[in-house]
Amino acid sequence: MSVGPRREGSGNGSPKVDESRRNLLKAMAVGAGAAALTSVAAVDKEKFKKALRKVSIEDLLGVPADVEAGSTLEMRAKKKEKELKEWCRKEAEKICQERGDASEDCKLARQKCDLITVKATPAKKGVRYAMALDVNKCIGCRRCVYACVMENNQARNLGIEWIRVLELDRMEFQDLLGSEWYYGNEAPKKENVYVPIACMHCENPPCVMVCPVKATWKEPDGIVVVDYDVCIGCRYCATACPYGARRFNWAKPYVPVQELNPNMHILGNVPRQVHVMEKCTWCIQRTRDGGVPACVEACPVGARVFGDLNDPNSPIRRIAEEYGLFVLKPEAGTKPRFFYFFGPSRTPPREEAKSEGKEVKENA
Amino acid sequence: MPRQDGWWETIKYIIVEALKGSRRYYLAAAGLLLLTIYGLYLWIFIQHAPVFLGTDYGGLILTGMNDSVVWGLYISFFVFWVGVAAAGIAFSIAAYVFNHPEFKKIAVLGEVQAISALTIVLMLIVVDLGRPIRALFEMPLLPNLRSMLDWDFIVITTYLLINLVGALVTIHYYRRDKALPKKFLVPFMVIAAPFAIGIHTVTAFISQALTARPIWNSPLLAPRYVATAFAAGPAILLIALYLAERYIEGFSVSIEVYKKTLYLVAGATIVGLYFTLSEAHEIFWYTTEPVKWAQAKELFYGPHLPYLAVLTWLWIGLGVAAVILALIPSTHNSKGAIAFISLLVVVAVIAEKTLTIVIPAYEPSTLGEIRPYHPTPIEYGITLGVHALGLLIYLLLAKPAIKAIMTHYFKPGAHHH
Repeated sequence: MSVGPRREGSGNGSPKVDESRRNLLKAMAVGAGAAALTSVAAVDKEKFKKALRKVSIEDLLGVPADVEAGSTLEMRAKKKEKELKEWCRKEAEKICQERGDASEDCKLARQKCDLITVKATPAKKGVRYAMALDVNKCIGCRRCVYACVMENNQARNLGIEWIRVLELDRMEFQDLLGSEWYYGNEAPKKENVYVPIACMHCENPPCVMVCPVKATWKEPDGIVVVDYDVCIGCRYCATACPYGARRFNWAKPYVPVQELNPNMHILGNVPRQVHVMEKCTWCIQRTRDGGVPACVEACPVGARVFGDLNDPNSPIRRIAEEYGLFVLKPEAGTKPRFFYFFGPSRTPPREEAKSEGKEVKENA
Repeated sequence: MPRQDGWWETIKYIIVEALKGSRRYYLAAAGLLLLTIYGLYLWIFIQHAPVFLGTDYGGLILTGMNDSVVWGLYISFFVFWVGVAAAGIAFSIAAYVFNHPEFKKIAVLGEVQAISALTIVLMLIVVDLGRPIRALFEMPLLPNLRSMLDWDFIVITTYLLINLVGALVTIHYYRRDKALPKKFLVPFMVIAAPFAIGIHTVTAFISQALTARPIWNSPLLAPRYVATAFAAGPAILLIALYLAERYIEGFSVSIEVYKKTLYLVAGATIVGLYFTLSEAHEIFWYTTEPVKWAQAKELFYGPHLPYLAVLTWLWIGLGVAAVILALIPSTHNSKGAIAFISLLVVVAVIAEKTLTIVIPAYEPSTLGEIRPYHPTPIEYGITLGVHALGLLIYLLLAKPAIKAIMTHYFKPGAHHH
C-alpha cells in the first residue's frame, strides 16, 4: 500500500514514522474529504483530527513490532542512516561544485547517497558461519584484499586492509616468522606459499575477553563484531589477538563518496570514526541476507569457501568431510572458525610441467 | 578560632602552604606548569584534534605506533609509574608495622609520592586512549569483569583514594602537633598494603596471560614487576629526602632511614636481577616457542631495535653496579652516596620497566612482522607534559606535608623523638 509520497529514509525498512504519519493524515484527509464532503469546502481540521485514531506505521506495514521497535540497534541503524545520508549529500555537492553537475563523479556520488541503507539484521537462528581457504589454490593475487576494502568502506587514507596475505617459503614454512607482507606483483612464485589471514572469528576470542567496555562480542551466528560507537580505542584487543586481525583508525578515515558501498550494516561496514578498532565481519551486510563475503566472490581461483557449519549441505561441510579443516596457531586455544585446507587441483610446478612437454603460460 | 581543628581547615592549610614559597619554588612550579600546558596543548590540539575538535588532521597516527605495535611510549611509562606508586605505601608499612619512629616521620612522603605517580599513571592512560571521554562514561556503564583493564582501573583509582586519605589524615594530625591515632592506622594499613601489591600485580596481569604475545607469557612477570617496583619506588623517595634536606631549612632525616631503605632497594634490585636471569634462562636455554625466541633476541641483542638491547644491558649493568655499591660500607654510610646509588637504581629500573617491557611483545608481531617502533616528538612532548604534571603535584603536596611533619617532629628548641 502506498502511504503518500515517500521522500527520504525509505531504504528497505519503514520510512521515518513522524513524517509518514503526517503523509498518511494528509492522504486520509484528502480522501475522506473528497469522498464524503464534496460540497463542503472546508473541514474543521482540529475536530477532524480528534475524531481520528492514531495508526502506527508498524501496523500498516505488517512488520512484527518486536523487530522494528524492540531493537535499539535497529533504531541506531536508522539514525546512522539519516546522518550518513546528510553527510554523503554534503560531500556529493562538494564534488559536483568542483567537477560540474554533468561529471561522472557527481552523478555517481549522488546515486550512492540515495542508495545508502544501514541495516541491523540480526543473526539467523541455528546458523553457525565458517570459512575455509584452499592453501593449494591461493595464488597470492590479493584480489580478496581489494574486494574487501571496497566492500567494507575501509579508510583509503590509512591503508586499512582487513585481510593480510602472507608470503611464506614453501619448503621451510613452520611458523609465521620471516613472512613477507609486501611482496609486490610477482606472485605467485613457485617457491612460495600464500596464506591470507583475517579475523578468525574464534569460538573463544581473546579480543572479546579483554575489551574493557564490551565494545566487541561474538554474535550467535559466530561473527565477532565491533560496536564502533562504544569502542574507546584502548587497543587492548589488538594486543590480545593472536592473528593480528584488528585494525585501528589511527587518523580520521576517508572514503570518497563515489566509492562508497551503500549497502551497510551498523556492526559492519558503516564508515568508521577516528580512533576506533575494526576488523573482518565476514561481510555481515551480505551474509546475514544470504550472500557470501566479498572475498569469496572475488577470489579468481575459488580458493575460499563460506557456509553454515550447521547445514549438512553447505559447501563448508563438504570441504570438512572431503579434505579436512586445519586451523592456524592451534596452540593459542582460540578455536578459530576460519580454516585452511589442502584442495586437490594443485597447479604443478612449472619445471615439472615443462619436462612433461606441456605448454606453460607465463604469468598465468 | 573555634574551627581551627576542622578538616576544612586542613584543606585550606594544604592550599595555603602549597602556594607559599621561595622564589626558587615558584620558578620550579611555573616551569612545570608551562611544560604541563605544553603537553596538554600537544594532546588536545594536535594528537587528539580529530576527537576533540573534529579536525581532519592529527590523530594517534602522529605517534610511532601502528597496527603492529599498538602500545608505545605512553604505556611503557605507565608500567614504570604504577611500580613507583605501589612502593609508595612501603614506607608507611615499614614505619607502622615495625613502629620505627624515624620512618614514621617521613611515611607521608611515600603517600605523596604515590599520589603524584598515580596522577602520571592515569594521565598516561588518558593520553593513550583513542576516545577518553567515551571511556569515562562507558567504563562504569559497561564493565567487562573479564577484562584486566577494568580491574586495573578499579585498583588504581581505589589506591589513589587510599593515598589521598592517608596524606590528608596525616597532615591533619601533624599540623596540629598530634600523633596519628591507632584507630586510623591499623585499618588503613590493612586495606592499603594489599592494594599496593595489587596495583602492580593487576597491571602485570593485563599482559601476562595473552597467548598472542609470547614474551609476556611468564608467571614471573607480576613478581618481577613488584620486585623492581620495590627498588625504584623507595629509591625515588630517598632522592626526594636528600633534596628536601638540602633545600628545606631545619628538615633532617636520620641516616638510619637512608641505610635501611637502601637495604630494601638493594634487596629488591637483587631479586629483580635474579628474575631477569631466570627469564633469560627460560628463553635462551630450552624454549621451542619461535616467536618468544625472536622477541627475546630483540630484547637482548636488538638486531632491529638497538635501543632495546641498550636498555636491557643498562638495567643489568647499572643494577649490578648499584647492588655492589650498596654493599660496600664506605659508600653506604654517606647520604650523598646513598642518593647516588638510588639514582643508579632509578635509571636501571626505568631501563628495565619501560620500553623493554612493552615493545618486545610487538617485535616481531604476532604475524611475524618487525616494524621498528621509534617514539615521535609528539609522544615525547606529551609524555614530558604528563611527567611535569606529576612532579608539580608532588611539589605542591610535599610542601604542606613537610611543613606538617616539621610542626609535629621538629619543634623549635625541643628535642625531637
